Amino acid sequence: MNSDPVKFWPLLIVTGVLVSFVLAGLRAKSQEMSDYGFSGRYIGRIGGGAAIASNWMSAASFLGMAGLLYLQGYFALAYVIGWTGGYVLLLVLMAGQIRRFGKYTAPDFVGARYDSDVARLLAALISITISVIYCVAQFKGIGMLFGWLFGIDYGRGVVLGGAVVVCYVVVCGMLGVARNQQMQYFVVIVSFILPLMFLAHRFGYFWLLPQFGYGEGIQDLATEFNIDFTAPFASGSLFQWVALCFTLMVGTAGLPHVLSRFYILPNVRDARWSVVWGLFFIALIYWSAPAYAVFARLLEARGGYIPDPAVAGKMADIMVLKTAVMGGVPVWLTGLLAAGAVSAAFFTVTGLLMTGASSLSHDIYYRLINPQASESRKMAIAKGGTLVLAALVLVISLRPPALIAEITAVAFALAGNTIFPAFLLGIWWGRANRQGVIAGMVLGVMITFAAPLCGNAIPLFASIFPVTSSAFCGAPLVVLVMVVVSLLTPPPSEEMRRFLAEVVHGHLD
Amino acid sequence: MDKRQESYEVNLFNPKQGYMRGEVVLILAILVGWGVVNFGFQAVLWLLAENPVGEGIFTRLTFFNLPYHFWFTAQFLPLWFIILCVIFNIYLDRLTERHSRRRDRTYE
Repeated sequence: MNSDPVKFWPLLIVTGVLVSFVLAGLRAKSQEMSDYGFSGRYIGRIGGGAAIASNWMSAASFLGMAGLLYLQGYFALAYVIGWTGGYVLLLVLMAGQIRRFGKYTAPDFVGARYDSDVARLLAALISITISVIYCVAQFKGIGMLFGWLFGIDYGRGVVLGGAVVVCYVVVCGMLGVARNQQMQYFVVIVSFILPLMFLAHRFGYFWLLPQFGYGEGIQDLATEFNIDFTAPFASGSLFQWVALCFTLMVGTAGLPHVLSRFYILPNVRDARWSVVWGLFFIALIYWSAPAYAVFARLLEARGGYIPDPAVAGKMADIMVLKTAVMGGVPVWLTGLLAAGAVSAAFFTVTGLLMTGASSLSHDIYYRLINPQASESRKMAIAKGGTLVLAALVLVISLRPPALIAEITAVAFALAGNTIFPAFLLGIWWGRANRQGVIAGMVLGVMITFAAPLCGNAIPLFASIFPVTSSAFCGAPLVVLVMVVVSLLTPPPSEEMRRFLAEVVHGHLD
Repeated sequence: MDKRQESYEVNLFNPKQGYMRGEVVLILAILVGWGVVNFGFQAVLWLLAENPVGEGIFTRLTFFNLPYHFWFTAQFLPLWFIILCVIFNIYLDRLTERHSRRRDRTYE
């Protein structure tokens, strides 16, 4: 890798795209106060959907998913299904109710609903852990991208990329750059689809909608090279597929930075419809991801070079870019693709670090340690927290434990085992109380980390709570424990139960 | 438990009368459609598998140039989730309108 040249044009395009986001953000700032809050401009259902989608798009969607599809074929479709099906759960079970409850963040909701500082602290610590794990996956993507752009190895790439992303967060924060999420989504989708159209065209497939054109590629793989890409249980059993898919679904409905998206639209009905648009925009990318995987396999097979699994696993996370290069995509288009990937990872890191840091300063420092803290003191804690979290993420991502999508899946498993049950019962069962939620969240954390920590000693844990898929057995168990503990202990205050019945569920009675 | 207290019990499986009951029926119907079509199809695939890697009738049929099972999971299921969300929103909009009109409250 060391002999690779610096990719000049792609580097220029990546820089240009990032700078243009800062400039656009500065212009937007002078025109309005903020995207958030009810005072902000009305962005409409489609705009709200684009914001949901761009908030969602990360290196895992952009790079990790296609990489796993390339390695595992049909099995990796569990990611496609899990990350789209989760939005159904989110919409039908939570979107409207969370909004009417009126708490913006997961720790705020848990703290208020269960009236407990311990539960709030737990939820805050879990949110921060989720942010860190999720960021590690992004940093791995950034490290590989920077390694490719500058022609350096992964270790140096991740240090350089990490430094750049932290500078980006700091500069954006200092200048008060507004996030233009519609523009972000547009860049991400165009940079993902255009190279794919080019590749499909070059192969002679139906290129206008490469999402549907890649079918011929699968057939060519089968007939020319006898490679079966689609065998359902070649890379995992039915249980493993379903467990992974279910985990990603409940995790989607429990991710703190996704849950807090329901406040940018002025009313509940628009919020609900913007989820539909968001899901459509997300699906546009997910319908396309298998095409990259198929084209990569086909290019390798036709080039007479089929890497052994260890080599393939190492480069799978940057397979999207390698495919574009192998397929002879023009350099400006490759640059655009790299820019889309860098943007997706950068914006996700920005959002997650800010979420984590605000949990640290608001939910832990202000609410629990020093309630008299001034605004400037809270800000200082948040800024320091951002740097501490970024440093922590960097240290972990120097030795990435797995593929991007797999690391992300662990964050989903944690969210699905802890935050999801807390919200589900918090909204839909008035009797759930603080003892129940504390017991449930502690158990959820233990379940999530059971397999990596003591899976060797107790193989049963590794088989029923697989690292990436622990919420399939875990979340129902946590719900059960929450119900039992709640029933054994006194009910929550009458005030809260009345609020839940009258405001959250009885607003039209 | 006296009558007054019962009026503010919230329970997904025992919703109170009115708007919430209609909403819960709709939610459960959507969740059934969500679970059965997705997990059900994977189970059918497993039942029809003729060998350990799962080849069977669905992997041989093709649709849009894709093996049928691959098309169903990779392309139809995300579309199905979108359809479910649209159905949910349309029915919830109607339900909301009906109840808002009855109480002559037009917000939402």
